[in-house]
Amino acid sequence: MELADRAVGFLLSFISLTIFTYYSLWVIILPFVESEHFIHKYFLPQEYAILIPVFVGVVLLCLLSMFIGFVMLKSKKKKA
Amino acid sequence: MKHVLKILTILVAISAFWIGLLQASIVPRSHTWLLPIYFIVSLGCYGLLMVGVGLMRFPTCPQEALLLQKDIAEAKVFLKQNGVDVGSD
Repeated sequence: MELADRAVGFLLSFISLTIFTYYSLWVIILPFVESEHFIHKYFLPQEYAILIPVFVGVVLLCLLSMFIGFVMLKSKKKKA
Repeated sequence: MKHVLKILTILVAISAFWIGLLQASIVPRSHTWLLPIYFIVSLGCYGLLMVGVGLMRFPTCPQEALLLQKDIAEAKVFLKQNGVDVGSD
């Protein structure tokens, strides 16, 4: 049981560290590299560095408000 | 001071720093425009990291679990003797 917990925790921290290093490289270091370097192949164009977090944030906000509305409706129906 | 005031002052300080960076143009302009998004993404990453690390280091206390099971068995026996229905297994 605790092995499953440890595996999930390790997976979460690994994902967060990868996202952090990839995003830092993308936003901070890549503009300083000349555009002919091979490393530009591994990174999407720079506009996506803004679009993807904004999109994920908007989706999260929508899911959150849907969840809150759903819970409020369910509690109102139970009281009535 | 209330907690929300502290958070608001931190936010105001960070935005003042960002506007100052925009005005002084030490760092290239395109970098400075991306800084708030980078900050939010790294904050989310940090939260996820803390959750993962906390999950990994969660203590399960196996001895206390055993003692708890013994207590439960003892309580069930006692209650059954006194006529209370304990149900389940």
